[in-house]
Amino acid sequence: MIFARRPWLFFGPAAVFAGAAAVALTLTSDHEEHPALTTVLLLFVSMSFVIAGLIGWMRRPSNRTGMLMVAVGYGVLATSLYEANYAVPYTIGTIVGSVFIAVFLHLMLAYPSGRLLSGSGRTLVVAAYAAAVVAPLADAMFPQDQTCKPHACPDDLVLLSRDHAAHVATTALSTVAAVILFAGAFWLLVGRWRRATPAMRRQLRPVYLAGGLSVVLLAIGFIVTPFSGVGNTIVSVALIVTFTAVPFLFLAGLLGTTLARSAGVGTIFSAVPERASPGEVQEGLRAALRDPTAEVAYWYEEGGHYVDVDGNRYELPPDTRHRVVTRLDYADSPVAAIVHDAALRDEPELLEAITGAARIALERDKLLVEVKARAERYRAVLQAMPDLMFRISRGGVYSGYNAPNPRDLLSDVVVGRKVHDRLPKELADRVLEAGQAAVDRGTPQMIEYELEFSGETRNYEARFAASGEDEFLMIVREITDRKRQQAELEASRARIVAAGDDERRKLERNLHDGAQQRLVSLSLSLRLAQRRVRSDPDGAEELLEGSREELAQALEELRELARGIHPAVLTDRGLEAALEALAARSPLPVEIRGASCDLPAQVEAAAYYVVSEALANVTKYAQASAVEVTVERRNGTAVVEVADDGIGGADPLRGSGLRGLADRVASLSGKLDVESPPGSGTRVRAEIPLE
Amino acid sequence: MTVLIVDDHPSFRASARTLLEAEGYNIVGEAENGETAVEAARELHPDLVLLDVQLPGIDGFAVADQLRKLEDPPIVILTSSRDRADYGRCIGECGAHGFVPKADLSGAAIAAFLVA
Repeated sequence: MIFARRPWLFFGPAAVFAGAAAVALTLTSDHEEHPALTTVLLLFVSMSFVIAGLIGWMRRPSNRTGMLMVAVGYGVLATSLYEANYAVPYTIGTIVGSVFIAVFLHLMLAYPSGRLLSGSGRTLVVAAYAAAVVAPLADAMFPQDQTCKPHACPDDLVLLSRDHAAHVATTALSTVAAVILFAGAFWLLVGRWRRATPAMRRQLRPVYLAGGLSVVLLAIGFIVTPFSGVGNTIVSVALIVTFTAVPFLFLAGLLGTTLARSAGVGTIFSAVPERASPGEVQEGLRAALRDPTAEVAYWYEEGGHYVDVDGNRYELPPDTRHRVVTRLDYADSPVAAIVHDAALRDEPELLEAITGAARIALERDKLLVEVKARAERYRAVLQAMPDLMFRISRGGVYSGYNAPNPRDLLSDVVVGRKVHDRLPKELADRVLEAGQAAVDRGTPQMIEYELEFSGETRNYEARFAASGEDEFLMIVREITDRKRQQAELEASRARIVAAGDDERRKLERNLHDGAQQRLVSLSLSLRLAQRRVRSDPDGAEELLEGSREELAQALEELRELARGIHPAVLTDRGLEAALEALAARSPLPVEIRGASCDLPAQVEAAAYYVVSEALANVTKYAQASAVEVTVERRNGTAVVEVADDGIGGADPLRGSGLRGLADRVASLSGKLDVESPPGSGTRVRAEIPLE
Repeated sequence: MTVLIVDDHPSFRASARTLLEAEGYNIVGEAENGETAVEAARELHPDLVLLDVQLPGIDGFAVADQLRKLEDPPIVILTSSRDRADYGRCIGECGAHGFVPKADLSGAAIAAFLVA
């Protein structure tokens, strides 16, 4: 549609022709009492609306306010038909002469977008258009006796009756309808004003002031016209002033936006100097957009989300009737977003010009905000770390520190002091050497050291990383517990190895002293018997008998040894049978409970040796009358317990046997406890995790 | 030839005595550890000492070294239920005349070292 793009091409010339016709009709009218004044007013009012409307229409084609203003202008021109000296145009003019008032109401209720957004508004406007045609039509059908100068009016083509009572009735009905419509319109305008945001009110204020007054005056006019000629004149003059002011104030609003646009762009650039902070940029934008609630969010590329001017994560709110988001993208990549008053959408030129200018500034500031966001994140990470942190210059002077627990510091005063003033010389030398190496080589360094602190020797680990050309970061973590656990682990491993060696030595000795000696004697006896078998058969037989006994003893000793290395019954028939075998060999009555649970082989072996060693100790030292052995699974743990009713008072550290057992259990991440209060028996308890 | 048997196992001392006596050796004494062995040698002046290597207290090598220093040092034949190779060069360096595994003990085995 060419009218949509260039409305002035048609409506401009058309208004000129219509204006000329109106002038001709008015000036030649036989029944117009003030043709000159009426002509001037008619032209001035109508053309004000047409010209202002066309300018608005061209500037904001999508906004229908301009179109409605043009319609009001044409409506005003249409009233000149009433001045015609011919019956047809005169009658039409009588009927359509009030339509411009309905269009004006439409304009006011639809301002500033030009669209009726509420159902009540639409209803009221439809009623107004209907009333604007029906009421004059009724008036023309039942006119007053003397409408025009005597005998000057053309024929009223829709005249039905000049009955006075009928005229009064129709006039009363029209007046009531008009007053109700104007009151309703005024009510809607007031409600709209009350709900409006500051930015919206800024737009509404001038037009509502003049338009609202016009609506009130129109209502008053309808009321006073039938009763007072003077009152009607006063109201009419006031109405002409306020009514005509509407297009001028509308134009002033448009001009204001244009000025604000250039001023806004200027504000952006003047308020955002080279080193402006993101906060200052936001303030500049607020001033330029004339929206003190506007917020700027920057796109944080690394995090994949928006952040506010302080670098905190920011979620863009969804668009609502009052607040909307305008995204600023550059080459399909988000740069920033402005959350602002929805009313600014009705000033698109302003918004566009300012966001265009802001995009450049924000693109630059995005980097600043990203750096800030990153710094915030690092600060959060650093604060969450339990380690001591020191910033130290290359020359060895502390320039900053972070101590989650200030009691960890050797001394309260840190910043400004030298490394050699706070630390022992040898350690200070190592710290400086490692820190300087981190700066020079660009690779992190690490040292471990011991320090006397709070009356005890503690272990620390310090890491060094360059934090500038002439500065390094020293991160200190106490590792005393780790060192102790490491030492305990190493000692435990050493004991396990030593115990293994010891066991092998004992085994070799036992073999050598036992079975081997018996076999040697057996060999010698057999050789002797062999020599005597012919010369001394009785002696040989005696030797052979001795050899048989020697062999039987050697076999028994070998069996005993083999059992000590690993109980075959455990491998062949499981823990329950092995424990029963142990119980059978024990001189004390042993009750076994729950050994039937299925356990991993190494846990079964550990359980077997715990019971074996504990039973041996009970036999040797406890003076007990009975022993109870329990093996069970409990919450993912194998629990092995040997309890006796003996004299108690056992020292867990006394023999190497219990320590060896503790090591064996610890090698399976378990623990061994011995409770042995004097006089109350002894309870050896091993807990071994099964996963 | 007079012989002193030194071993901490009574069963071996008994077997060795029976075996060697059957082959004509004159067993003049027995000792169960190193200290008593040196004393017995000094007292009994045996021609030969059959000396176990693994003794409680000082071992056979040290005893052999002490016997070598006596005025009238006896011939020392070491014996053990272990193999000769288990002791490396210790046997040659302690002053002993030879080594006989206990399982191979016989008069002939001892005589072989005497001839040599």
